[in-house]
Amino acid sequence: MKLLRLLGASFSMSLRRSVAFRINLVFDVLLAFAGLGTAVAAVLLVFTQADTLAGWSKAESLVLIGTYQLITALRGTFIDPNLSWFPETGVRNGKLDGYLLQPASSLFLASLSLSSPLALIQLVPGLGVLGWGIVSAERPPSVAGLLGWLLLVAAALVVTWALSVLLACLAFWASKLQLDVFYHSAWQLGRYPTDIFSRPLRLLLTYVFPMALIASVPSATLLRGPRWEVMVGGVAAAGFAALLAVTAWSAGLRRYTGATS
Amino acid sequence: MIVARTVQLLGFRLRQEVLEWSGSWWFLLTLVVQAVVAPLNGLFVWSAVYPDDPAIGRYYVAIILVTLMTESFEQHTFSERIYDGTISHELLRPQPVVIGVLGTNLAIRAWLTALGAPVVLLAGFSLSAGFGWWPVLLSLPSVALAAVLVFLWTFLLSMAAFWTDRVHAVVGFGSQLIFLLGGTAAPIGLLPDPWRGLAGASPFWGMNGLPAEIAAGDPYDGSIAAAWGYQLFWVVVFVVAVWAVWRAGVRRYTAVGS
Repeated sequence: MKLLRLLGASFSMSLRRSVAFRINLVFDVLLAFAGLGTAVAAVLLVFTQADTLAGWSKAESLVLIGTYQLITALRGTFIDPNLSWFPETGVRNGKLDGYLLQPASSLFLASLSLSSPLALIQLVPGLGVLGWGIVSAERPPSVAGLLGWLLLVAAALVVTWALSVLLACLAFWASKLQLDVFYHSAWQLGRYPTDIFSRPLRLLLTYVFPMALIASVPSATLLRGPRWEVMVGGVAAAGFAALLAVTAWSAGLRRYTGATS
Repeated sequence: MIVARTVQLLGFRLRQEVLEWSGSWWFLLTLVVQAVVAPLNGLFVWSAVYPDDPAIGRYYVAIILVTLMTESFEQHTFSERIYDGTISHELLRPQPVVIGVLGTNLAIRAWLTALGAPVVLLAGFSLSAGFGWWPVLLSLPSVALAAVLVFLWTFLLSMAAFWTDRVHAVVGFGSQLIFLLGGTAAPIGLLPDPWRGLAGASPFWGMNGLPAEIAAGDPYDGSIAAAWGYQLFWVVVFVVAVWAVWRAGVRRYTAVGS
């Protein structure tokens, strides 16, 4: 409860800081629509040449893009402002030292205390594309499909947070290693159904760097209905990823001796 | 005389930048990944649609290489110098500011091409993408012109930093245009009308798709001279635009901090 209050307070402060720069809001709105427009256009191009993309219909592909955008927007709002370029901004600049002195969980402060409310704008076109996909589907999603989608989106958010924390934890062992560009590039692979990739890459994106869980799995659940093994697997993956992130953070902190030492 | 001096200065700067970036090979590898992800996505998507067409694989292998050879990061290497004020040092030097920007650009491209070559070879071998020597040789001037076009386009957009601190959004928008209309999202021959005509007339096709099509041997069926003429036309347009925006930007910059 205390952490939720802290999250609310920091979001409120970030929001007030952000709206002071209104021209930035205009740029962010334009970029959000342009970025999603490009992604949708690239997929719609495929459906001018084929009826399905690796077994995915146009409606399912739109739901996938909408879901991907939703999670990307939430990542950009709550996770990226904290953990992007963490080796530089968190460790070498000494910000982590400040977190360690405060009376709250250092992992929470380092990974969720700042936010970028303007990035939430991406949610609007994302939800629009999601709605477009649902309306275009041959049959509407069932209640079970909707609940399964909500659960898997929550699991995907936990996995996203855990992946970012694990990436940040590398700074404790190799403080000059910056993998943010790599991470953001690999993230783009989630924009398409994992079925289009070759088998080795598909296995990698399912079990090692689980981009399949980010958009493909929730989207398939929404329109094709939930499968219990997928639901259990998604929740278990989220739990395991969170546990791994907390463990890595604790191990990293034990190794950490301060920015100047 | 001026040209020789400029080339000499550029050579010095290029050598300096190549050496400086050699210490950041790990970061350069992540830039390689960033550069190849969009073409790889296109390759997987269109290979799923046309699994038996070897031209798709050949085209996207060429696109990956062209992308690596033409990547530009002026929103980082140039715009950040406007934001932190260090461009003032460059303005005081008895040489054009663009030499430093160009030297950094060429050094990064050289590293990306060298480090990305294994990815291109791997993709080429795994797809059995055979290239003919003659189309590849013919494509070289087109690749050079594409490199000039991408640099001018990115540099032009990066100068938005004189007016706004959202230069990354501006350049990001420009990159999306290249992705969509330049032949990475789909070979422009697969675009529906009127988008095909629009992409073919836009400068973006000349930045990626056209040199890749020439190197792959198809589907470009026009004359090589027409292809070079089209690219040169856009180079001239961008040079004039860069010159005009640079003059306006520098006049604006003099007010900062005064």
